Amino acid sequence: MRLTSIVSTVLLVGSTALLVNTLRAQDGAATRQRMIDLGKQHKTADSLYLALKERARGGRRLTPTTMPDWSGVYTRARGGITFDPDQARGAPPTAKLTPEFQAKLTERIEMANKGIEWDPISTCSPPGHPRWLTEPFLRDFVVTPDQTYLINEMVNDIRRIYTDGRGHIDEADRVPLYNGDSIGFWDGDKLVIHTNQLRSGIYQRRNPDYTDQIETVEIWQKVQPGLIEVDVWVYDPPALVEPWYTRQSYAKVDDQEKTLRIRYWHCGENQNNAVAETDTGGTQFKQFTFDTPGAKK
Amino acid sequence: MTALLRELRFLRALRVLALLLIAASSAAAHHSGTMFEQAKTITVEGVVKEFQWTNPHSWLLVDVTDKNGKVTTWGFEAEGPSTLQRAGIRPSEFKPGTKVTMTGRPMKDGRPAATWVLAVRGDGKKFDPREGFQVK
Repeated sequence: MRLTSIVSTVLLVGSTALLVNTLRAQDGAATRQRMIDLGKQHKTADSLYLALKERARGGRRLTPTTMPDWSGVYTRARGGITFDPDQARGAPPTAKLTPEFQAKLTERIEMANKGIEWDPISTCSPPGHPRWLTEPFLRDFVVTPDQTYLINEMVNDIRRIYTDGRGHIDEADRVPLYNGDSIGFWDGDKLVIHTNQLRSGIYQRRNPDYTDQIETVEIWQKVQPGLIEVDVWVYDPPALVEPWYTRQSYAKVDDQEKTLRIRYWHCGENQNNAVAETDTGGTQFKQFTFDTPGAKK
Repeated sequence: MTALLRELRFLRALRVLALLLIAASSAAAHHSGTMFEQAKTITVEGVVKEFQWTNPHSWLLVDVTDKNGKVTTWGFEAEGPSTLQRAGIRPSEFKPGTKVTMTGRPMKDGRPAATWVLAVRGDGKKFDPREGFQVK
């Protein structure tokens, strides 16, 4: 009798959990589709950004008493080192690519499967935005009334988001930058960002290339204590046949002892981290100190 | 009893496979890990020579003595200090002279270096650097 009762309870709890997860998944899929559709309604990132700004009636200016609390140390919550956290394991990236960029991606993955892979950040070059969103290390997010600093531990990388009402750099003076030029506004507790003036790069290893025509729109929001989510739309006409929507998320890291530190990154600090691109496009370590008598660290 | 042992062995095999998969998928977030074997591991016993606590990668150097008394220094690469710290790995855990058994994915070119998959210290305590990427 007791066993029957336990089994019934377990089954009930299990089926309820399954139902909740199914509903969550359905809700997540519907939200994702709405966001994809929103991106497709606008031909450019600028158009989407302006529409969001109009909907927010221009946004609000923060004051020291109305700033959201994003303090703490965060790290990427989902996605490993793929750009789209919702990309299934083993599946190709979810971007809809032009034939030229699809061919490049296919070749990159085929080469990596053969053990031939070179990552442009291997010698401490900045990942650049939007790849910046994907790196798996520690982050600080510093909100001030006129400017928000989005900081990634990797290569001491800081994005500066101007929310004081300024516009972008004049078109005639724009040059490609690793993290581009970012302006934004606050819609309630959501930070909406438009970034242009970016350099070409890759979204991640085994992920597509992007060009220097890429622009992004992001909506950052702390959705619950310890969790910040970011809706991201990427526009890049030469590479993407439609905007690539993804939802990124960052979780607060448990640091009750307050011992975590974001430290300086410098590839030259330790000779054992020195790598070089091989003739075939692969990666190889240079000389190690520990197997070479007399070599200096 | 035999069935239980079989199940335990199966679970142990699953854990090793999971460790390898995690190591292969997230290894070397800063540079490609293709210079290491992807599906092969080695295990060596030795004593810590030096713990290089550096960004972007840390290196645990371990002196391994073979049956003829020849000492080879092996280097085990892991992530940088903050990731290791999140995995409970600190410089004080691996002082020079500490006995340790290291499991890693070795270099394809035969040099004595590997990706650090698991360290088991002389006192039995285990250290898995990938735990530093876990999000609670």
